[in-house]
Amino acid sequence: MTTTRPAATVPPGAPSTGTPGRHRGPQGTSWQQRRYRWDVKGTPYLYIAPFFILFAVFGLFPLGYTAWVSLHDWSLLSDEQTFVGLANYRELLTDAYFWNALRNTISILILGTVPQLFFALIIAHLLTMRLRGQTFFRLGMLLPNVASVVAVAVIFSQLFGRDFGLINWVLESIGVGRIDWQAGTASSHIAIAVMIAWKWTGYNALIYLAAMQAVPRDLYESATLDGASWWRQLTSITIPMIRPTIIFTVIISTIYGLQIFAEPQLFAGGGQDTITGGSSRQFQTLTLYLYEHGFNRGFQFGYASATAWVMFGIIVVVAAANYLLVRRIRSSA
Amino acid sequence: MPATWTRRLVAAGLAAGLLAAAAGCGSGDDAADGDITLTVGLFGDFGFGPLYEEYERDNPGIQIEERIAEFADHHTNLTQRLATGSGAADIEAVEVGFISQFTAVPNRFHNLLDHGAGDLEGRWLDWKWQQALSQDGAELIGLGTDVGGMAMCYRTDLFEEAGLPTDRDEVSALWIDSWGDYVETGKDYLAATDDDSYFFESAGNMFRAMIEQAPVGVYDTDNTLLVEDNPVVSDAWETTVEAIEAGMSNRLTAWTPEWTAAFGQGTFATIICPAWMTAYIEGNAPDAAGLWDVAAVPGGAGNMGGAHLTLPAQGDHPEEAYAFIEWLTEPEQQLRVFQETGNFPSTPELYDDPALTEFSKEYFNDAPIGEIFTDAAQQVQPQYQGPLQGDVLATIGQGLGRIEDGSQSPAEAWAQVLSDVESLA
Amino acid sequence: MSTVATIRRYRPPRLAYLTLLAVLFFSGFPLYFSLVVASQDNSALGRMPPPLLPGANLVDNVRRVFETVPFGAALVNSLIVSATITASVVLFSTLAGFAFAKLKFRASNTLLLLVVATMMVPAQLGIVPLYLMMIRFGWTDSLQAVIVPALVNAFGVFFMTQYLREALPTELLEAGRIDGAASHRLFWHVVLPVARPAAAVLGMLTFLTAWNDYFWPLVVLSSPDNYTVQVALSNLRSGYVTDFSLVLTGTLLATVPLLVVFGLLGRHIIGGIMQGAVKG
Repeated sequence: MTTTRPAATVPPGAPSTGTPGRHRGPQGTSWQQRRYRWDVKGTPYLYIAPFFILFAVFGLFPLGYTAWVSLHDWSLLSDEQTFVGLANYRELLTDAYFWNALRNTISILILGTVPQLFFALIIAHLLTMRLRGQTFFRLGMLLPNVASVVAVAVIFSQLFGRDFGLINWVLESIGVGRIDWQAGTASSHIAIAVMIAWKWTGYNALIYLAAMQAVPRDLYESATLDGASWWRQLTSITIPMIRPTIIFTVIISTIYGLQIFAEPQLFAGGGQDTITGGSSRQFQTLTLYLYEHGFNRGFQFGYASATAWVMFGIIVVVAAANYLLVRRIRSSA
Repeated sequence: MPATWTRRLVAAGLAAGLLAAAAGCGSGDDAADGDITLTVGLFGDFGFGPLYEEYERDNPGIQIEERIAEFADHHTNLTQRLATGSGAADIEAVEVGFISQFTAVPNRFHNLLDHGAGDLEGRWLDWKWQQALSQDGAELIGLGTDVGGMAMCYRTDLFEEAGLPTDRDEVSALWIDSWGDYVETGKDYLAATDDDSYFFESAGNMFRAMIEQAPVGVYDTDNTLLVEDNPVVSDAWETTVEAIEAGMSNRLTAWTPEWTAAFGQGTFATIICPAWMTAYIEGNAPDAAGLWDVAAVPGGAGNMGGAHLTLPAQGDHPEEAYAFIEWLTEPEQQLRVFQETGNFPSTPELYDDPALTEFSKEYFNDAPIGEIFTDAAQQVQPQYQGPLQGDVLATIGQGLGRIEDGSQSPAEAWAQVLSDVESLA
Repeated sequence: MSTVATIRRYRPPRLAYLTLLAVLFFSGFPLYFSLVVASQDNSALGRMPPPLLPGANLVDNVRRVFETVPFGAALVNSLIVSATITASVVLFSTLAGFAFAKLKFRASNTLLLLVVATMMVPAQLGIVPLYLMMIRFGWTDSLQAVIVPALVNAFGVFFMTQYLREALPTELLEAGRIDGAASHRLFWHVVLPVARPAAAVLGMLTFLTAWNDYFWPLVVLSSPDNYTVQVALSNLRSGYVTDFSLVLTGTLLATVPLLVVFGLLGRHIIGGIMQGAVKG
């Protein structure tokens, strides 16, 4: 149906619609041909130009500029920027708080991602069944994804409140006792991980669901004939078959997880703790660490830039590891 | 396909409609041409609301708009806005712990001496005036609002339950001599009450009170940090740690939801009360009227908190803004703010005015808070405030927080405080 | 589809339903809870057990949010920011996606690889220089500081390239060429109609992301009149914490416009996510 559309919508009398070299005289032909050639050769560049120009100015240039700034003692509060070489990196890598932030980030990342993807798999598996209200369930799964991280952090900080939070009230009612979620390292990581998992589980479930629908059905048929259980089918058919999708979600979640900022920032009740991620820095993430140095006390842009590059390096390492994993799976398949 | 596009259109229209409706509610105060809007950036509610209205009424063409941010955010944001030259309000409040950080860059502010503030010097307590002067005394960046002479607020009902005296003079007598006595009283209190009742809300506050009472605090007058070397600091630390280890602290961080709610629930019995704190007590626990009373603070007089109003140089209406803050800090207005909220005037002229000295509040069991805070303010010996005063105190407060939540021993916490403070500078 | 269902017929569907309903409950509850607190007065904050049913104060709280902070302005700012970014991302991504998917030009593969590679770059990496640039341009504390850097993004180009590669029949373009249509005509009359469903999905995802963006606006915007909703919300939370019902009312107000859009267009968003997944 769509095939007829372009012909119908191109106005017949428009000057440029003439096919080059067919209806026009020799003079016109060469002009038309030049124009045609230019069109074919130049247009692609014209089409990608707006993207690449903006991208270069606001995407690529800042990347290089960050590297330049990171080599300086550069503060918003002073007009002088001294070249210091790798001093910022040296200072960063010897700062125990940086390593603390890295540990926290990875811990929150794992706590937030592993259960999240696991539940997403289970949910997706359930959604492949012939259920009443498919759309309703899918919509419900995605609902948390609509809420902003700020909204999520505000709501969950309330739920995780030490003295008057709903979760502690439930825990106390069932005899477990209250937990000071913000105070402990593990407990604060869990609370933040819950915020991440809550927002993204449904989203990932839908991605898995899409991948599962492409799995050949006869695999399940023969498995059922062999008497394989529901769980077995999940682990020995579904998961291997959608492995690339799983790795895709792992990479995406990892990149997202390494940049966690709003959740820990807003989870700390107030004052200094919102920047240090609790009084013991127990939930200060890398981005929060960057924020502390770059946009808080001192406004040390050089140091913050060095932090950004190191963060990037970490992401590249993780992504490369994932890429190698994908390749291995492909070659073994 | 057409159906879904229609629905999309409807959706977009609906969203836009919602937004437009919302916007309509928000922008009810469209200023007429030629009107000047003065923005006022504060941390917390200064109780200026009724004064804005009056000033707008008496000065047609002036509109006043208030912005409130969290205490720490407010000062960080101000630093950032001064550095980038955009985004600051016409009038920005600066708390005493941060004022010397800004008097160090006086060119970022309008010099109030150029606007005739020099004639008003006698209006304020001398030290309050000095705090807003640049180092060479050539520039004045702010006019003082309130001062925070300290008292101790306590819950009479909880004291009674614990078998402690409830009369404010008797309560004062319990600890007037020293903070050690205050800690002892706390131990008696804990022994007589159940597990989820605490003697005070946060250890950081107690520590800060002790520091503010000392003639020299965390800074020497040549801006040397004295955290490690000033015995006052380590003594205050040890006394506070003793209180924490006895289980007195409710472990609340000021200005968090938990902190706010705890007032309403009455989970702690005492709180260090600079005058401005009374406003928070009243606001956070409206149902506790008559249960709070005000006694003397241990350890003598000291100032905790209080603010100046400054005019960032990027503001476009220095004349109007100056006229406004000049009016706002007049004794008459300061008195009204005090009566309304509890923020105590920094203008000595009022200190023998019966309207101030005889003021009492039903909420605080009719305690003579006018008299109490006047005495407190008059006894204050000025203490030099260093450039990172606020950050240093916050860092020490975090250290105490780590002891409170059990994540560090006092020795570990102290070691970390020292290295953290070091890296601030 | 039917075969999958046939096999699953033996499973206990009741348990599946129960599990999914439990998931739905946990998905919806936090949002419901914010409605509950938003409709109470502030004393609910310290009540034990916490309130579980809505109160009667919602309208009053909404009014107070608008009185307390310029929330109306924030909603308008967010609408301007998100709508501009969405329109721009969709247009430029479709243009570039068309070029990458169907037009031949030198270095196209290298350039596309560059685009994909930069999707790995965390937003934070550019924050400091972006901020310095904004100071240089005199754009700090203005909406264009939020809008301009977001006018294009690598994900959009990648998404449209993938979609158009599959969905746009090459013969259709060739037919257009033979008829003498210039590229821009092909774009408007052939590519755009085909790209429409993907453009709608990309648009919705972009709008959602722009509306919910927090870190960069927080850094670059400083006066409340220029705040976007998320920054206004965090400001409301930190400055007015003594009134938490007010804060959660703000949270609710920031989310409601998206919930409305989601309610009406959710099925398309789901389709888009699932489609993107297969391609990815």
